[in-house]
Amino acid sequence: MPSKPAQIHLHPVAKTVAAAPGTPLADVLFPEGVEFPCGGRGRCRGCRVRVLAGTMEPGEAEQRLLSEKEIADGWRLACRHQVEGNVSLAIAQWESPILADNSTYAFERVEGLGVAVDIGTTTVVAQLVDLRNGSVLAVRAELNRQARHGSDLMSRIGASVTDAGGSALTGAIRRQVARMIGELMRAVVERDLPPVRGVVLVGNTAMHHLFGGLDAEPLSRYPFEPERSDALRWTASELRWTGLPEACPVTFLPCIGGFVGSDVLAGLLAVGFDHRTSPAAFLDLGTNGEIVAGNGDRILCASTAAGPAFEGARISMGMRAATGAITAVHQLNGKWECRVLGGGEARGICGSGLVSAVATGLDLGTILASGRLARGDTWMIQEPVSLHQCDVRELQLAKGAVAAGIELLLSALEIPCSEIETAFLAGAFGNYVSLESALRIGLFPFAGERVTPAGNTALLGAKIALHAPDPVALCNAFRKRITHVSLHADPDFQEAYVSAMRFPDPARVGA
Amino acid sequence: MNQNIPEKWKSLYDAVLEGNAAAATAAVDAAIEANESPQTLVDEYMIPAMDDVGEKFEQNEYFVPELLISARAMKAALTKIQPLLTASGSQPKGRVALGTVKGDLHDIGKNLVAAMLEGGGFEVIDLGVDVDPDKFIDTARASKVDIIAMSALLTTTMPSMKTTIEALKAAGVRDGLKIMIGGAPITQEFADEIGADAYGDNASTAVSIARSLVAS
Ligand code: B12
Ligand code: FES
Repeated sequence: MPSKPAQIHLHPVAKTVAAAPGTPLADVLFPEGVEFPCGGRGRCRGCRVRVLAGTMEPGEAEQRLLSEKEIADGWRLACRHQVEGNVSLAIAQWESPILADNSTYAFERVEGLGVAVDIGTTTVVAQLVDLRNGSVLAVRAELNRQARHGSDLMSRIGASVTDAGGSALTGAIRRQVARMIGELMRAVVERDLPPVRGVVLVGNTAMHHLFGGLDAEPLSRYPFEPERSDALRWTASELRWTGLPEACPVTFLPCIGGFVGSDVLAGLLAVGFDHRTSPAAFLDLGTNGEIVAGNGDRILCASTAAGPAFEGARISMGMRAATGAITAVHQLNGKWECRVLGGGEARGICGSGLVSAVATGLDLGTILASGRLARGDTWMIQEPVSLHQCDVRELQLAKGAVAAGIELLLSALEIPCSEIETAFLAGAFGNYVSLESALRIGLFPFAGERVTPAGNTALLGAKIALHAPDPVALCNAFRKRITHVSLHADPDFQEAYVSAMRFPDPARVGA
Repeated sequence: MNQNIPEKWKSLYDAVLEGNAAAATAAVDAAIEANESPQTLVDEYMIPAMDDVGEKFEQNEYFVPELLISARAMKAALTKIQPLLTASGSQPKGRVALGTVKGDLHDIGKNLVAAMLEGGGFEVIDLGVDVDPDKFIDTARASKVDIIAMSALLTTTMPSMKTTIEALKAAGVRDGLKIMIGGAPITQEFADEIGADAYGDNASTAVSIARSLVAS
């Protein structure tokens, strides 16, 4: 008997989504912008939801991670549940901008609303925040409309230097953000809200330049020095953005240096990197892997240009994390089992699926430490999706670049990786990739228990900045302490990169 | 794969194929001690070994690390043999000036191409990264270069290849040269479009292409 879709009502954004019973709740909430910091494995409490109407029986993970009172109050871990019937849920992540419960970042209560926007090369996320209590009133996430002019950063920079290309890209992103803000305002049901007192935007250096209408040509070639890396400021009326008070300041936060932008700067603020006195690292992995390492005194950062493998691109059957994507491959009694997003037929494999498949392949012996497939040139992981030898090679190129970058930054700081107390894993990748798999393929050298998935820290940092009396001053003070390192200038890069292309032996994983 | 490697110094062939630099130099020492001709060692053992390394690489069996360690073993053996070769007046298969183009710094692919060309018996002048068109011109003028090889990894630096070819033409040195290009974003169509003589997809084909370019 085909089951009727259930209605899932989300608070406080007042949105209802329909989903078939049996669908993992994570698959329903993720597209809505909810994050799963530990990858949805019942480890972190990050995906807490409160059942306001309907029922969801608490399970083992809730007993372990939530207090009795929390459970009685209706708190559950979204990642541990499937859709059963109609429910009304409050999303913890949207209630307060503090992601980690032990975050030392206290925000000041401020009268008014704020809009935080994270302009990624691929996606744009915007949140409307009530700055009096930090709660999120509405969320919008979309693909970056500039993608029409090239999917990766370099092709976009290339497009911007052609005639009229720059203004087209600038126009596209400004119009998109303006429209998203309009939609955020209209999505709010509450009346009598105070006016928006500021908009804060974050993004990498290329996004900063393209939003700001700056000349991106210097970013296209050696020495890759941005034209400007300071904060960019407008008022809503200067941008001709209607729906906001005319004098409402719109601020693109300053970049750190090179390709490393305010998304990383904001991310560092979000995890409290500015207050740390002990060694820590921060990784934001996407097409452009960014790495930060600090010894409590000095902070170094670099970009490693890993390539698009982590996002499933340039992989023979690669795809984005959408319905039909294999997101994980688990080992099961010497065999393996795939998890397919949406539960239906497999159509392809996404970045997290690739990492997980290779990790499992290494454990099963279908992939050797050299990256060579042990039997033939393809591995059929689930009809019709197979992994080809060249896909493993692509992953080796990407993960090697990240691992080598980390190694070189740590050696520049003269600290062994065992001294890194916490390694924050930011961004969408950190949200969905399994930590075990990442460790198994040797993506980073830290012990598993020291890695903290931190979610969309860029957006969180933007929200923290909204609460600050002067967001730019806050960023500038911190930015001065960070040194950008160009990895290409390091004579040891090739050696470190090439040895990091191999996969670690099982005994050395995470050691 | 090469089936007919003479048994005599097969240990040299094996050492290069497996990337064992110590075994490769030991084999060279033993062969020289036994009065083997250095040219024979290069032509019948080392170049065939690197050809097979290249083939394994093309077939995805070997990857960058394996290619690099084999190239190192080759280089170690070659360093021992080179003085003897020079003394016997033997000539390289050809001379290649190689560099990563202006604006670009990615050099790992270029380094592999250099190693494979050397392994294939070519003399390589490595011009490094961010190479200005003038530097290619100067090198073409100063040394008798058969081939100019360019590498680019960024879509934004691909146009530098075109600029360089135009500069070589303007300087009047283009005609005596063959030009080959490569790097991840490069395609055959692009090579045709900018008037390069050849495009190579990987470090192994770079060698076979270079061979056919000097033969033509
Ligand atoms: C390693 C790497 C780096 C290293 C380079 C170190 C070095 N010394 O070379 C570092 C980290 C420094 C780096 C920097 C940058 N990188 Co980078 N990098 C890479 C990466 C991961 C691998 C490239 C590589 O070495 N491949 C291995 C070699 C062996 O392969 P190959 O170069 O293609 O060469 C083979 C063939 O092409 C051929 N070949 C090559 N040359 C030639 C020449 C001839 C004549 C022939 C016949 C054949 C041939 O033979 C080789 C062997 O078979 C790629 C992504 C990827 N997964 O490919 C990005 C990538 C090339 N980088 C990219 C970018 C954008 C950058 C930066 C400009 C920006 C950034 N994000 O940091 C910076 C430069 C600025 C700076 N401040 O340093 C982009 C380019 C995108 C585009 N559309 O152009 C890529 C694709 C990653 C991405 N984001 O998508 N990078
Ligand atoms: S506990 Fe659910 S995502 Fe971590």
